[in-house]
Amino acid sequence: MTFHQFAYRNVVRNIRIYAAFFMASFFSVFVFFIYSMLMFHPSIENGFLGNVPMIWMVIAEIILVVFTWFFIFYSMKAFLEARSKEFGILLHLGMETKQLSKLIFLETIIIGTVSIVVGILFGYSFTKFFFMIVREILMLEELPLYLSWEPFLLTFVVYLSAFIFISLASVYFAPEKKVIELMKGPKEVHFHITYTKYKAILGIVLIVGGYLLALMITRGTFLSYTLLIPILITFGTYYFFSDTIQFIVEQLKKKKSVYWKKSRMLPLAEQTFILRNNRKVFFVVTMVSTLAFLSVGLLATLSSYTSQYDKLNPLGLIYKGHIDNPYENEHMSSIVSELEEKGLSYHLTRFTVLKQTSSFTKYEVEVFRESDINSLLFSYGYPMVRLSQGEGMFIPYSENSVKRLSKMSVDTILVENNIPIKIDKVYPKLIFPSSIVSLNSIIISDEDFQKLTNPYSGFPDEEPGYHLFTFDIPHWIEITDVGVSIQHNVAQEYLKEKYLLPYYFENAGLNYSYILSTYSLFTLVGLLVAAVFVLAAGSFIYFKLHTNLESEKRKFDVLKRMGISDGEIKKLVTTHLFPQFFLPWGVSLAHSLFAFVTLQKILKDIANISIVKELVFAFAFLIVIQVIYFYLIRWRYVVHVRD
Amino acid sequence: MPILQVRDITKVYEGKVTNRAINQLSFDVQKGEFIAIMGPSGSGKTTLLNLISTIDKPTSGEIIFNYIKPQNLNKTDLAFFRRRQLGFVFQDFNLLPMLTVEENIILPLTLDQQPVEVMEERLKRLAQKLNLTSILYKRPNEISGGQAQRVAIARALIHEPAIILADEPTGNLDSNNSREVLELLSKINQERQATIVMVTHDPIAASFCDRVLFIKDGEYFNEINRDDRRQTFFQRILNVLSLLGGGQVGDLSSIRLP
Repeated sequence: MTFHQFAYRNVVRNIRIYAAFFMASFFSVFVFFIYSMLMFHPSIENGFLGNVPMIWMVIAEIILVVFTWFFIFYSMKAFLEARSKEFGILLHLGMETKQLSKLIFLETIIIGTVSIVVGILFGYSFTKFFFMIVREILMLEELPLYLSWEPFLLTFVVYLSAFIFISLASVYFAPEKKVIELMKGPKEVHFHITYTKYKAILGIVLIVGGYLLALMITRGTFLSYTLLIPILITFGTYYFFSDTIQFIVEQLKKKKSVYWKKSRMLPLAEQTFILRNNRKVFFVVTMVSTLAFLSVGLLATLSSYTSQYDKLNPLGLIYKGHIDNPYENEHMSSIVSELEEKGLSYHLTRFTVLKQTSSFTKYEVEVFRESDINSLLFSYGYPMVRLSQGEGMFIPYSENSVKRLSKMSVDTILVENNIPIKIDKVYPKLIFPSSIVSLNSIIISDEDFQKLTNPYSGFPDEEPGYHLFTFDIPHWIEITDVGVSIQHNVAQEYLKEKYLLPYYFENAGLNYSYILSTYSLFTLVGLLVAAVFVLAAGSFIYFKLHTNLESEKRKFDVLKRMGISDGEIKKLVTTHLFPQFFLPWGVSLAHSLFAFVTLQKILKDIANISIVKELVFAFAFLIVIQVIYFYLIRWRYVVHVRD
Repeated sequence: MPILQVRDITKVYEGKVTNRAINQLSFDVQKGEFIAIMGPSGSGKTTLLNLISTIDKPTSGEIIFNYIKPQNLNKTDLAFFRRRQLGFVFQDFNLLPMLTVEENIILPLTLDQQPVEVMEERLKRLAQKLNLTSILYKRPNEISGGQAQRVAIARALIHEPAIILADEPTGNLDSNNSREVLELLSKINQERQATIVMVTHDPIAASFCDRVLFIKDGEYFNEINRDDRRQTFFQRILNVLSLLGGGQVGDLSSIRLP
């Protein structure tokens, strides 16, 4: 038997020991490869995701690589620690340290190569399925499977170098241990107090401070707070796990009436040691899960935004221009001919909107004519407006404003023309998107509108009104390339300091396609990263458990002799595992919850969107996964310690 | 009425190689007796202790504790039986590293969900008696082997079990600590009338007992009772061990001479 054969047989005949490490590597490769397949897709260069995505996809890929490297490194460390007894025997039999390093290196390369090959094979066979999902999400015509050497080479090179580097690093950076220490197996637990009261309190203060800031956030303080809060929370979480938690448990243990009662002693004492030894892991898991929660939550938010987009933007195209806009005819005819060329049906409404001063508010008010509005309402299929002389009606600027305006009743005079108007109604639905109309817009009867002969008192310094052209287009998703040149001018002008163009143009279909592509990008990146994060967070705990299994078995052996029933073993295992699984998750859930309360508030200000339902769904889904994972591991654990 | 009756027990381990560890073994233990079970390696001592501990079941025969037959109990009742009737002392102490000395001692009582006052009261008495008061708040890795075994004995006594089972309690101790632990066991035996069954292959340890039972290849071999002087008792134990060693005269078993 040569040395290489020894390494090979070691792996092949101990599949069960290597399985956990293999699965960790395999899954990393699998996710990475599928993602690379998408990144190198030939049609992605044609820009099916819009213009931005390529660079973002590369960044996401890099994050994925860094994370999986870390993940493999950690698995490797736990794996080697669990096998230290075996290494002790080999060294005892006279193996050189150099040979042992070579053995570990060879084994890692064998497992690594197999997991790369299997990962790529599985990845390639699942790629078509993945592409189908992507195609559905992005509403693409087709996203065919392709064969190209780039994703294969990239995955192979990235992971082979990862395995080479990690195996070398974990061998050379491992602390030098004596044979006798290795023979004793995984190192014994250390018990010394590591917390300080001051840091324990600091942890709580930082976290509570972060939460309070998150609750107090407003649009004005948004930027400075969003920089500050993550820093507070990160440090707070670190101190929470390294000091606060231990401080609390230690205080609890001082009370014998609590600590010694009802078989609480053993689980509590165990938790002290688990919390102390895993504080860094718990911190990492918490932060990682928080990131995963946030990315999933963000996805849910965006999906709710896209689903509500239609409602918030009822019009396909909007063209708004000054009364003396010289381009009006040219632009209108070009838009209309483009629409007709594409064979899209539309309903065009032309508005003349006049500005007047209201005696009630002393500010300007935008006045719409009843028959203009009715023309648009007719094409929407909404109920018409009937106004008699002297009556007015508010136009809502957002969904929320409908409620607010309906309670208002205003008697005002349009000052320039001395026309009294009583406004005590509001149109119950959103007619225009909020960006088009001002907050103070009313509809008056045609008779009153005709009497508005004197222009707005601000004229000629300010525009006395504007022309508004609205296109109600049933197939508004297909109008992405209508009026592109006008849109281009408008976008250019927006970047300048002052908006000087006499017209403004909005293409809801085009905007939607931008939002959709950003959203789908986030979906792809977010889902993949969240999948890897969730898996990794669970695996961290699993590896820790695996390493300590031997000493756990010894402990349960003593307890069994002393007389502990099966039911009590299960209970003990549950209380042993529960905090490890759910404490980091609980903390990260609390973090995310506050993050989303903040987000909800900000979004309500900007886009008037509620994300509660989506978030509850997303979180419930993640919790269900974790609970399943918990029971799976508990089941394995009970089986292991019982015999 | 003996407190423990072992009736014709046989234990066969089945597997690829069938192994008969205990064969038709019978003996009684009286209340308040301190009995040693001796035999060479592989004679089935540990198997016997596991059977008495009820964590293993005999293939045939029965073990009776004070009219209770553990074989007839279900798993949960068996656990309750062990935690109330049996106390254990192990060769490698088996103190739980995450608990302090005092917590290790009261562990059997917390498993049984006794009230805290009972625990404190018994702990106080026992700690004084076994001279553990000064180390109560230390961790198992901060005390010496002799102290650790004393703690383990305290743990075996705190719930006042009917029988204490000791598996090579001096196996990991030096001669001074060994003597201390053995003297402690015999003192407990005399003062509290505690019944102790000790498995050992150290003739010195055995010489502290009232009676020594020898087994060989899982079968009853011989037994001797203590006389007035420990020195002669020790000599007689050595004589039996030399007989135990095998066919050839003078082929001593692996015993440790003082």
